[in-house]
Amino acid sequence: MSYKTAVIGDMDTTTGMALAGATHTHVHVKRDETLAKLNEFLTSDEIGLILVTHRVAEELGFEFRQMMRTKRLLPLVLRIPDKTGYVPKVDELQETIKRTVGAEIVVKKEGG
Amino acid sequence: MATALAVSPTRMELMKLKKQLNLAQRGHDLLKEKMDALVMEFFEIFRKIQESRTKALEQLSTAYRALTNCFALMGTLETVQAARETRRELQIEISSRYLMGISIPAVEFGEIQRNALTRGYGLHMTSSVLDEAAREFERALGLLVELAETEAVAFAIARELEKTKRRVNALEYILIPRLKGALKFIMMRLDEMERENFTRLKRIKAIIEEHR
Amino acid sequence: MNADRLIKFELARLNAHLPERRISLKEALSLTKPQVPTRDGSVHSFKRKELEILAKLLPEADWEKLQLPIFIALEPKLGRGAAKVSGEVEAKVAAKLLGKEAARELLIYRPEVALLRRNLPTTTQYLFVW
Repeated sequence: MSYKTAVIGDMDTTTGMALAGATHTHVHVKRDETLAKLNEFLTSDEIGLILVTHRVAEELGFEFRQMMRTKRLLPLVLRIPDKTGYVPKVDELQETIKRTVGAEIVVKKEGG
Repeated sequence: MATALAVSPTRMELMKLKKQLNLAQRGHDLLKEKMDALVMEFFEIFRKIQESRTKALEQLSTAYRALTNCFALMGTLETVQAARETRRELQIEISSRYLMGISIPAVEFGEIQRNALTRGYGLHMTSSVLDEAAREFERALGLLVELAETEAVAFAIARELEKTKRRVNALEYILIPRLKGALKFIMMRLDEMERENFTRLKRIKAIIEEHR
Repeated sequence: MNADRLIKFELARLNAHLPERRISLKEALSLTKPQVPTRDGSVHSFKRKELEILAKLLPEADWEKLQLPIFIALEPKLGRGAAKVSGEVEAKVAAKLLGKEAARELLIYRPEVALLRRNLPTTTQYLFVW
């Protein structure tokens, strides 16, 4: 099925992505508004991918993480750096690895 | 908790337990094989993510720079206006695929819709810096779509891996030891009973002999 | 916890989304959306890039013989880490990709399974025969 893309971030990010073909954009100003917009995107049937900048995701905090945990399979959500290149120290993927595969990696190394 | 398995020490029970243990061990093998495969898939997807992330982030940096350039030369307002009026719209094709029973997304870059009127940016004269910024962001978006798919797959595999690991552990540390314990208990009791019987028979035989 | 039920349950989960039927490489190449229906009513999609890889590895005459997805079968008697690719053309193309000799069926080991999966993630599927 065909889907569209949505972007939530600052002016630069949304402008650039719009030029590239993103259909829905939202420039983050106030937390409540952005959360509402995010919810709108998450429940839309036509959006397949939502790009959110790390900065905004962090600012949205707990609610954002909650929405990510409870969302359906689609739309996919990807966090991206904004023009400052800011990337948070805690990488969810690394954490997930430590949790699920961490022990496995050690065992494998020793057992060969 | 072998003692929690209330089993009567009979040969029937022994046979039933041996069968159960056999099945449990087969189940354990199956789950271990599944886990091995999941771990392998996970390492592979993890490797892909690293690659994908590096490429995407690099391209994204380039795109942001091109945009800054555009802002500087064309003006911020004009650029934003052009972006607002752009007729290009990315469509991504998302369908499902499966890996060991888990559903994962299959994403492909779809058509870019173009309005019949103009491929460009409204009625403004397209400037080359605008074109360049658009092109770099297009490239970045392509890589990001790929990255989004890869990350989704990684998380799906990780979740399944956790579930499977828990089941393997339940078999390895709870069920199988329980079955083995019960088996051992029954065998000991059966042995004991046989010895008791044997001793009893010997005694009876001795008494019979005495009375002859 | 009944071990018998556990195996049945786990196998059901593993096999729920197996394809209901396979399609040939030739057919897959001709579709705009190359995919197969799964047993439970969903679909399993193939990536075009992989179809092209497969097409390059085989002479055109074999394209309608190759059934997709290619199954990588795991069974207890093969031992841990070993797998089997059955089917003459399937084994042939897998062997070619791995740089091995082809036979009617192909026995492969973990690193080879990894290589197959890395190159053909959507056109190969695990099959647990337990």
